[in-house]
Amino acid sequence: MIRFENVSYNYPDGTPALRNINMGIRKGEYIGIIGKNGSGKSTMSLHLNGLLRPQKGKVMVRGMDTGDFSKLQGIRKIVGIVFQNPETQFVGRTVEEDLAFGPENLCLPPMEIRRRVNRALAETGLEKYRYHSPKSLSGGQGQCVALAGVLAMEPECLVFDEVTSMLDPDSGKTVLERVKRLHEKGKTIVYITHNLEELHAADRIIVMDRGRIVLEGKPENVLSDPSLRALGLTPPSLIELAEHLKNHGVAVPWEKTSCPSSFAEEICRLFLKM
Amino acid sequence: MPIILENVSFFYSKNTPLETAALKDVNLRIEKGEFVGILGEKGAGKSTLIKLFNGLLRPDSGKVTVDELAPSSKEVKRRIGMVFQQAADQLFCRTVYEEIAFGPLNFGYSKKETEERVFEALEAVSFDRSMLLRDPFSLSGGEMQRVALAGALALRPEYLVLDEPITGLDPGGKKEILDTLKKIKDQGTAVITVTHNLKGFFPLLERIVLIREGRISFQGSRKEYLETENVPLPPVTSMMRELKARGVPVNPAIFTVEEALEEILRVKSLLEKEKAEK
Repeated sequence: MIRFENVSYNYPDGTPALRNINMGIRKGEYIGIIGKNGSGKSTMSLHLNGLLRPQKGKVMVRGMDTGDFSKLQGIRKIVGIVFQNPETQFVGRTVEEDLAFGPENLCLPPMEIRRRVNRALAETGLEKYRYHSPKSLSGGQGQCVALAGVLAMEPECLVFDEVTSMLDPDSGKTVLERVKRLHEKGKTIVYITHNLEELHAADRIIVMDRGRIVLEGKPENVLSDPSLRALGLTPPSLIELAEHLKNHGVAVPWEKTSCPSSFAEEICRLFLKM
Repeated sequence: MPIILENVSFFYSKNTPLETAALKDVNLRIEKGEFVGILGEKGAGKSTLIKLFNGLLRPDSGKVTVDELAPSSKEVKRRIGMVFQQAADQLFCRTVYEEIAFGPLNFGYSKKETEERVFEALEAVSFDRSMLLRDPFSLSGGEMQRVALAGALALRPEYLVLDEPITGLDPGGKKEILDTLKKIKDQGTAVITVTHNLKGFFPLLERIVLIREGRISFQGSRKEYLETENVPLPPVTSMMRELKARGVPVNPAIFTVEEALEEILRVKSLLEKEKAEK
């Protein structure tokens, strides 16, 4: 659905942000992109819907080239991005107005805009804040408004760029649950983070370092890869523990490492067998 | 001579229909030289609490004193250095030098004295002097955070108060800040930080204060924290607690992967021995 072909991009000061990236994202896939600050993750996400255009190579979204201005509106109907600081994307005085902004700009009929806004409010549990100012909401709720704003555009692919890094752990979990549900409903998900604990549910993980893809694969392989620390990333603690235990003859299978209780249950079972 | 809060309550939008209690009847004492972590969910009252220390907010009831002084006094502004979450919001000068010198100059220190303090603060955050002419807004998030930190340190505060200093930084940036804070604390300055990043800060904290819905719901040492019910915990500790609950004789008061590994292996060899004896 989205394809990067030999994409390179330099920051205005000449530092390379992306170096010859080749990758593809299939429809309905849930992709995690990780890497330390400055590794090129966000630059990559901005290329997904033409907010940035490659200086070399090209990015194709469902056969449309992001370098072709006439295709941009079409591309942005397909790919929507939710950013780290939602308050920088608010435009409306009320949550409702804020959500209507995108659909209005697509010149949709008023009834259709109403339908989309209502649906986005319902999907994110924001109905009761419909008439609140988006700026008066908490961090987690603000992030929901940003998400709802993107949902109102009804894109097929949603990109999340470090959406939980400013949230407390509980609000973070709620956002993550929502992302999972959207994926189950068939949306394509690109989830960018440096918190590796969040990527258990992904179909595939791409690891970036200095503008290159350095590792790519299924979460069970990537998250337990010994090279992560050298890349400035901290592996999820339970997965790390499982790796260590394996070396001492206690094998906790991958599926059990996603939460503390399934992990404990498995250890219990192994100990009882002894 | 500590920071003391006695029966402090604070309300936002007091006497309006939107009145909300942010802090209710809080009693807290912070000693010189301590490393204290203030934990709690968004909206629990953490940031409100620290703004009472130096008079940015005034309590609606109760009393705050800093080394027996009123928080509104100018001396308290010097003794308490504050660094907020979005470092970029508190930077406004054209160069890093001006930024760090701003505090001392405003307190009327001479140019020479100010310069000395700037160099000292710069060293405390592990920057070299080539940094001084840089534009603060051209720096990375972690670097900006360190400039804000240096600005606070240039007043040689007794207490350094920080609001989520490592949120939004990558592991490398986080480590830079944590190492710097450890150094500052070792030199005798009290460090008080609001955080929900337990994982990063935990090994440094001498005391933990947990705030829930405007009240202090726990305060104590790291060890006491790990033995307390209903506190936010890292996945490894939750897992060890679950193991214990299922009857595996582990000590659940652990925090790191290494500790968990050691503890599980200890119990494993124990169980193996028991079995061999049977």
